[in-house]
Amino acid sequence: MITKIKVHGYRIYKKFTLSPNSKLNLIVGGNEAGKSTLMEAVALALTGRVNGRSASEELNPYWFNTSVVAEFVHKRRSGEREALPEIYIEIFFENRTELQSLCGAINSDVPTNACPGVSLRVLPNPEFADELEEWLKDPLPLLPVEYYMVEWRSFADEKITHRPRQLVTAIIDSRTVRSSSGLDYHLRQILSDHLDPAERASISLAYREVKASMSETALADVNKRIGELHASLHDQTIALEMDQSTRTSWEGSVTPHVNDVPFSMSGQGQQAAIKISLAMSRHSGKANFVMIEEPENHLSHTSLTTLLSRIEALASEQQQLFVTTHSAFVLNRLGLDALLLIGPDSARKISELDPDTVSYFQRLPGYDTLRMALANKIVLVEGPSDEIIFERIFKDIYGKRPMEFGIDILSMRGLALRRCLELCAALDKPVAVLRDNDGIDPTELKMPVAEWLVDGRRELFIGSVASGSTLEPQLVYHNSEARIRDILKITTAADLATWMNREKTETALRIASSDQKITPPEYIRKAAEFIYG
Amino acid sequence: MGNHLTLAVAGSRKTQGIVDHCATLPRERRALVVTYTQTNQDELRRRLAVYAGDHQGLEVLGWYTFLIHHFAKPFLPFKFPGKRVQGFNFDGRPMRMAKGYSRFLDSNGAVYACELGRLAHELVLESRGTLVHRLECLYEEILIDEAQDLSSHDWEIIDVLLGSSIDIRMVGDIRQSVLATNPRSAKNKRYAYAEVIGWFREREAQGLLEIMQSATTWRCHPDIASFSDTIFDASWLFPVTDSKNDTVTSHDGVFLVYKRDVEEYVVKYKPQCLRHSASSGKEFNLTFLNFKLSKGSTHERVLIVPTRGILQFLQTGAHLEPGPAASFYVAITRAKQSVAIIVDDPGNSSLPYWQP
Repeated sequence: MITKIKVHGYRIYKKFTLSPNSKLNLIVGGNEAGKSTLMEAVALALTGRVNGRSASEELNPYWFNTSVVAEFVHKRRSGEREALPEIYIEIFFENRTELQSLCGAINSDVPTNACPGVSLRVLPNPEFADELEEWLKDPLPLLPVEYYMVEWRSFADEKITHRPRQLVTAIIDSRTVRSSSGLDYHLRQILSDHLDPAERASISLAYREVKASMSETALADVNKRIGELHASLHDQTIALEMDQSTRTSWEGSVTPHVNDVPFSMSGQGQQAAIKISLAMSRHSGKANFVMIEEPENHLSHTSLTTLLSRIEALASEQQQLFVTTHSAFVLNRLGLDALLLIGPDSARKISELDPDTVSYFQRLPGYDTLRMALANKIVLVEGPSDEIIFERIFKDIYGKRPMEFGIDILSMRGLALRRCLELCAALDKPVAVLRDNDGIDPTELKMPVAEWLVDGRRELFIGSVASGSTLEPQLVYHNSEARIRDILKITTAADLATWMNREKTETALRIASSDQKITPPEYIRKAAEFIYG
Repeated sequence: MGNHLTLAVAGSRKTQGIVDHCATLPRERRALVVTYTQTNQDELRRRLAVYAGDHQGLEVLGWYTFLIHHFAKPFLPFKFPGKRVQGFNFDGRPMRMAKGYSRFLDSNGAVYACELGRLAHELVLESRGTLVHRLECLYEEILIDEAQDLSSHDWEIIDVLLGSSIDIRMVGDIRQSVLATNPRSAKNKRYAYAEVIGWFREREAQGLLEIMQSATTWRCHPDIASFSDTIFDASWLFPVTDSKNDTVTSHDGVFLVYKRDVEEYVVKYKPQCLRHSASSGKEFNLTFLNFKLSKGSTHERVLIVPTRGILQFLQTGAHLEPGPAASFYVAITRAKQSVAIIVDDPGNSSLPYWQP
C-alpha cells in the first residue's frame, strides 16, 4: 500500500506531500486544485507512463511548475547560480515482504528512511551539459526539455524499465484514449493483468491455430489461383497467409463484448463500469492500485448508484483505491471519512469522524457535503428562508454577497445539526450556525452540540426567546409590523404572523428583493460579523 | 536447513555440487548464487540453465555485484545522506589517510572495490536492520562458491549472513585462496589464506555452521593429486586427496621437462601453458595463461614455467609461502592427466624427466 506520495515541481505542485488512507481515498478539491495532476503523478511513478505513453516521450516544458521555473529564471537573470529545476515524484510503500526488492534509502526523506518505493525524476541530462550551459546564458520560462532525461528508479537505486510486477495499477479515466485496435491502453493493461499467464498463453495459442487454419480452408483455393501468377521477382510462389507476427497478436482482436456489442461501441458509462469491475476483481496477492477519475461522469443517477455499490463490494484489503470526484453523492456514498481535500502543498485528511456520522451521510447521500469540504467558511442555516435572509443582511453590511468572500451558506434542511457540525469540525472549517430558538432558552440549545463548538471558530447564533421563536417573528420584532407589511405588501386584512409562517420562502424572497432598509435581527448580524472575521 | 560449509579439493566438482543442489531446490524457493570470478559466474549461469533452467527464482551474482546491489546502492544514505553510488571503481585506491566519503567513493561517486566490503558492513550496522530484513525477504537461501577468496571485511558480512534467517551454503578450497579482495586492508589479516579455516571452525563451535570435507577429486590423475598434497606442509592438516580419475593415457602424472625439449613437448601434447605473470616465461614463445586467471578452468595437460620459489621447492623440498603455495596448487590442479614443469636443474627432486 502507498503510505506517502511526494510530488516536487510537477505542474501545479511545487512541493506536495500526501499520506493516503490504506484502503479508500476520495480526492476532492476545487477546479484547478490538482486532482487530476495528482492522479497523473501517481500513475507516472507507478507505471512510468502517462496516457499510455512513456514518460520520456510525453515530457514537455509544461510539466514543470511555472512558479519554480519563473523563480529560477529570475534568479539566473539576476546573476545567481541557481540549479536547473527538476521534477521528482516519489511513492513510498508499506514495508511488506513482497516489495522488498524496491526497498532502499534512495529517496528525499530526512532523516534517512529505508522502505520500499519508486521514484520518477526529470533532471538535466549530463550528456547535454554544453548545450545547457549555452541555453543558460539567456534562460527562458520554457525549459529545454530536449536536454532533460527521465529517470525511473526504485528506492534501492535500481533503474526500472518495466512496471515492477508487484505493482498492479489500473487507471480508469473518462478521457478514453482510443487506440487503433479499439481498446485504450489502460483497458488493455487491465485486461492483461486480469488474466493469469496460463490463460493468456492458451488464448494466444488458440488464436494462432485459428489463424493457421485459415490457410488450409478459405485461403487454400485463393492460393492455388495466385500460385499460377508469376508476380514475384525470381518466380518464387506468392501465397496469402494469416500474419503470425507479434504485431497481430490476439490482444488487438480479442475485446470484451457487452450483450454482443463490442466494448468500444458501448456507452461510456458502461465502459467505465466494466473497467472498474475488471480492475478491482483481480487476483489477490499483489499490491493493487486502482485509480478512478470522476466516476460520476457519463453516468445516470441510477447507474452511478449501481457502480458505487460495485466499487464497495469489490473493495478489499489488497487494494488501495483513489477516486477523484466532484460529486457529493459519490463522496457520501463511499464514505466521508475517506475524504482527502487537495491543497497546493498537501492534502487535508479528515480527522476522526464518528462511524455513525459516516453512515448517517451514507444513508443521506444527496446532501451537499462536498460544498462543505470546499468552502473556506460556512454558515449553517435551517432552511431556504434563513439562507435568503442571511445573504441579504450580509450584503447590506459588507456590500458584497458572502460567496465573494468564500463564505458558503448551507441549508441543513432537517439534517441533524450535530452531524453537520461534527463534519465541519473534522474538516476544521470556521462555521457560524444560525438557528431558531423555537421558544427554548439558547443556552439549553447549545448543550447537545457543545463538544463541536470552539469560540472564534465554530459558534452558534440563536435569537433571544423574547424577540421571537423563529426567523419571521424576529424580523417583525426588529423592524416593526408596519414596515414588514409594507415590504411584503400585505394588507391589514390578513394576519401577518400566519401569512409569514405559511409563505416562508415567499416572505424571504420579498424581503431580500426589497429596496427598503431592513434592520437585521441581532443574532443574524452577529453571525454575519463573526463569519466575515 | 541451517548453514553449511563444504571444504573441498580442486576438481571435486564444487561448482557442479552447487548446480546439483540448485536443481533439487523447490521451484518457488528464492535462492541466490554468489561467486567471485567472472569466469565462474558465466560457467554457473550456463550450467544452471542446463540443470535447473525451469527454476525462475535462481539468481547468479558476483560478490561485488551482490554488495553493490543489495548493500551499497540502496542504503548508502545511511552513511552519507543525499549521496548515491554512481559507479564501481575496480582498480582505484582511496588516499591512504582518506576519511568518510572519500574513503569509500571516488570523486565521480564510484565506490572503490577494495573498500566495498567495509562500506557494506558499516551499512548493515547503520541501516538499523532494514538492510538485513530486505535480504531476508528477497532470498531464502544464499550459496557462496569459492568462499576461500573472500577476505577482510567480507568475513564480517558472512558473519551477518550466518546470523540471519537466510540459509547459507558455502563451498571453498582453502588451498586455492590466491585472490585477496583487499590488498591493503589490515582488517582481518589473521583470516588470510589458510587461517580462514580457523575462522570457520570458530563459527562451527558457536553452532552457526556445519563444516563438511570433500577430499575426492574427479579431475586430477592420482599422481597429480598426491603431488598436490605435498605442496603444503603437513601442519596445515589438510586431508589427503583421493582421486577418482581412472583414465589411462600414454602420458600420465607429474614430469620435469628440459628447456631444450619444451618445443617438442608442446607439439606432442598440446598442454595449456601456465605462468605466474606476464613477466615470467618470456624466453618461451608460447601462449600462456597466468596462474590466477587459470582458476576455475580444467585442462587435459598443463605445462608450467616455475617461479624461483617453485624451483626451490622442487630442488630442496622447502615449502612455499602460503600465497605462492596456493597459486602453485591452482596451477597443478588444472590438469586432468599430466603436469609438466620446465626445470633444467632437478636438485633433489624425485620427479621423472620427460624423454622425447
